[in-house]
Formats: sequence, structure tokens, C-alpha cells
Amino acid sequence: MSDNVSSPKLRLSGVSKSFLAPRTGLSTLAVAEMSLDIQTGEFICIVGPSGCGKSTVLNMIAGLDVPTGGVIQKDGQTVTGPGADRGVMFQDYALMPWQTVEGNVGFGLRHGTPGQHLNKAQRNQRIAHFIDLVGLRGSEHKYPHQLSGGMRQRVALARLLANGPDILLLDEPLGALDAQTRLILQAELLRIWGETAAVAERKTAIFITHDIEEAVLLADRVVVMSTNPGRVREVVTIDLPRPRAGKARTHPRFGVLVEHIWSLIRDEAYRAIGGDESLANPTEEATA
Amino acid sequence: MTNRPFDHRASVWVRKLVLPVMLIAVWQIWASTLPAGSPAPAPLKVLQTLGDLLSTGSLLSATVQSLGRVVMGFTMASVLGIALGLMMGASQAVRENLDPIIESFRPIAPMAILPIAILWLGTGTPTALAIVAYASFFPVIINTVHGVSRVDRKLVLAARTMGISRWTILTRVVLPGALPSILLGTRLAMGVAWTAIIAAELAVGAKSGGGGSGGIGQMMFVFYAYNIDLNAIVVCMAVVGVVALLIDQLFRLVEKRLIPWKA
Repeated sequence: MSDNVSSPKLRLSGVSKSFLAPRTGLSTLAVAEMSLDIQTGEFICIVGPSGCGKSTVLNMIAGLDVPTGGVIQKDGQTVTGPGADRGVMFQDYALMPWQTVEGNVGFGLRHGTPGQHLNKAQRNQRIAHFIDLVGLRGSEHKYPHQLSGGMRQRVALARLLANGPDILLLDEPLGALDAQTRLILQAELLRIWGETAAVAERKTAIFITHDIEEAVLLADRVVVMSTNPGRVREVVTIDLPRPRAGKARTHPRFGVLVEHIWSLIRDEAYRAIGGDESLANPTEEATA
Repeated sequence: MTNRPFDHRASVWVRKLVLPVMLIAVWQIWASTLPAGSPAPAPLKVLQTLGDLLSTGSLLSATVQSLGRVVMGFTMASVLGIALGLMMGASQAVRENLDPIIESFRPIAPMAILPIAILWLGTGTPTALAIVAYASFFPVIINTVHGVSRVDRKLVLAARTMGISRWTILTRVVLPGALPSILLGTRLAMGVAWTAIIAAELAVGAKSGGGGSGGIGQMMFVFYAYNIDLNAIVVCMAVVGVVALLIDQLFRLVEKRLIPWKA
């Protein structure tokens, strides 16, 4: 039964993904034996160095990539392909340039499964509601190229929510934004996810980011991944009280958690930029 | 100093017109040095011939006939080219099957299929249509395939995560995504179609001995092969040029209307 309390919303069991290099025919393991249970209403952040397979994991949950090993189950059902129950917000917005704000937000409702049970008036009402929710009223008839980066991201968020998915998959959605816009959208994201609502009313969210502070601010649990091949290094529970928007950064635990996660990926992060291993541990170097 | 928009536009037009007007003036001065009975074309005689040809209605009906053939042949080629181009862009199997055929026909000029077209279809409108359709097919299909291949893959993935069917993705994501390239292809196609019809009518005119094929190309042939009239030939050339210019402007207008997001 799908609403069984003990069964997780999403279960990854030994999920692996290897890619074949097109010329050499050699196979590279991008994700190895990843297992994770995610509960309804949980906010999960995935962090890790470049190339640890974060996006691959998200694409497999979305059904856009097929695991080469293991099983992904949603509500006990094996994921076999994409579906509107798992909405994706892409890093570079992926808005249709020929559609206005209104057309983009309503794209899934008008052409896909999410709007099948609605009539035209209900769809329009729903579109207007989510445009309002992300604060874009008045910009309905603008095209994406007429919007700032932050506004485009809001359109993508409104489109995601308008389709009514029960799992939100967010692939570095705030990565391309300037620092201030980022802070504002982080707070809005928490509000829209349902930070102030009861746990049962929250969406399930999986959020990929490079930014450790962002992960600690947003997540219930942070999945720290390591590279070559991508695997789970540690799952860190973020025990900061909610609501966090605006306050969590000054909490004494905040810095401790950030530092802990950074210590998990520091060595690989230095290696990824070609830095000297000794740079990763400057204090040891000094005492040696 | 700041120009008002109108002044600016006017000065652009002046700049565009200076050279042509000067060239025509030089041409007229040169022509006025020739003896009275010379058959050489001159601007004032060309204008006079234009007036004559317009007053009999023959120039207009010939132009309309050629244009009609272009529009029909172009429409046939566009429908086929866009449909096949979308299928080729969407399916690797279709692309691999059709690509060699298309690429091997592409270097064969429209005029090179004229002999077969005349033998099979005669010297009238069917042959003209075949030539026009053949000529305009390649720009349409090549630009459609190119446009489809350039559609952002992320948009297709995004659509798939919204529970949108494959067919709807083709019509609602791939087609509009490729539209700028498709419109470019049709504009180029219309250009070569107009060039091809004139050449085809000229050539068919020769075959039918100035008989019934009609169109502005054949009108030129008559003025060249029967009653030799260089002024009338220049009138026909000018009409061909002006019509081509108007068609191109029309297509640019349509492009602006159909792709408002490319402001």
C-alpha cells in the first residue's frame, strides 16, 4: 500500500550507473551502489565535488537516466521513466524561449498529464496562483529573454509547482544567481516547500548544490558524496530548528555543521582544482 | 546632436539610393551619346517600354503567372521539407535512411533535371512546378534538420518530466524550437524558387518555340529570340529583381510576427 507509514517516499537500493565512452567503448562508473531512504516531507541536499554523480542521481530519480544496477522505488513502485509526479528544476532554467511567463508556467498543465483532469478555467486559475506565489504578477506576458536571472528562476519554480509533483528535484537551481538574489530565493524556497507547515503537508525535496552553507540552511539531511566513483560518503542530519529562514546562520550549530561537511569533501575538492594535497591541511603542514 | 528617428530613417534611405541613382544617371548620359536608331537599352526607353507593357497588361499577367507557380511549388516543397526534416531530426533511423539520398541529389542543379521534367511532364505548368519544388526543397529540409538538431536538449528533457507525450513534444517543443531555422530555410527557398522559375521558363520557352508555357521568363525569351528588344528585356530583369526584393521583405515581416521572442 502506497500510504504505508513505514515505507519511504523514495528508496534507492544499491543504485549504480556506468557510462560507455563513445569512442573507446570503456565503461566509467559514475555512481556506485548508492542506497538511501527518503521520507515524505523531507528536504534532502546532496553535496559533493564536481564529478561525483550528483546530477546523475537526480536524473535517475527523475527517470531521465536508467540505472545500470540497483532499483529506485517511489511509493513502492519501481521508477521506469519520467513522470509529472517527480518535477525537475534545471540549473539553467530550461524555459521555453517562445513562451511567455504565463505560457511557461502553464506548459505542463496545458500539454502534459498534470492538467488532464482540469478544465481551461481551472488551469488558468492554477497558473495565476503560482505566478502570484513566486511574485511575478505583472510580468505574465514577458518572454524569458526579457527577465533577469532571478525572475527566470522564479518562473521555473512556478512551473515546477504548478505541475503539482509530490517530489521536487532541484539541480543547483540557485547556482547561477548573484549572492543577494540567492539569499532571497533560499528563504522563499523554504517558505514554498512548507517550512512553517506541518511535516505531512510538506513536499519531498531533493536539492543539489555546490554550496555547503546553502545545504545546511535548507536540508533536514545532507548527503555528502565522494568522487571516482560517486558514492555516499556520509549522511549528515541537520538538527537546526525550523523555521530557519534568516536565523539559522547565526545558530552556534550552523558553523559546526558546515565545517564538518567541508572536512568530508575538502581533500577531494582540492584535488579537483589541481591543488597540492598539503594545501588541504595547512595546520598539519605548519606543525610538521 | 540627437536625430529624431524619422531623420535617421530618411538619411539611411538617402544613403541607400545615392549610388543606384548615380549609376542610372551615368547610364542615361552614356545612352544619349549613341546614334538615334541604336538598339542599346537606355533608362528613359526602359521606362517607356515599361509603360507600354503595363498598359497592355501582358507584363502583369506574366508576373502573376510566374509568381503563382513559385507559390505553389514552394508550398509543396515546404510541406514536404518541414515534415521530413522534423522526422529526420527526431529519429536517427529516418535520418540515416534519408540523408544519403538527399545529399546525393543536392548538388544536381534544378536546371539539370529540366530535360527529364520536360520529357515526362511537358512544357507547361507541371514542369515549372517540379523545377520550383525541387529547387526550394533543399534549403527547407536542410535548415529544418539543422534547426531540430540545435533545439536545446534540456527543453525536451524538461517536457518529458511534465508528462508530455512524444508527439506533443515534437509539435510543442521541437517545432517551435526549430522555427527560426525553418523560417530562414523557407526564405532562402523562396529566393531560389524565384530564380529557378525564371530560368525554367526561359528554357521551356526555347523548347516550345515561344508557345504556351508563359510566365515572365518566357516573356524574356520572346524579346530575346523573336522581336529583339533589349529595353523590354531590361524591364523583365528589373521586375524579377523588384519582385525578389518584395518577397524577401515579406518573409522578414512574417519572421518577426512568428518569432516575437527573438526581439
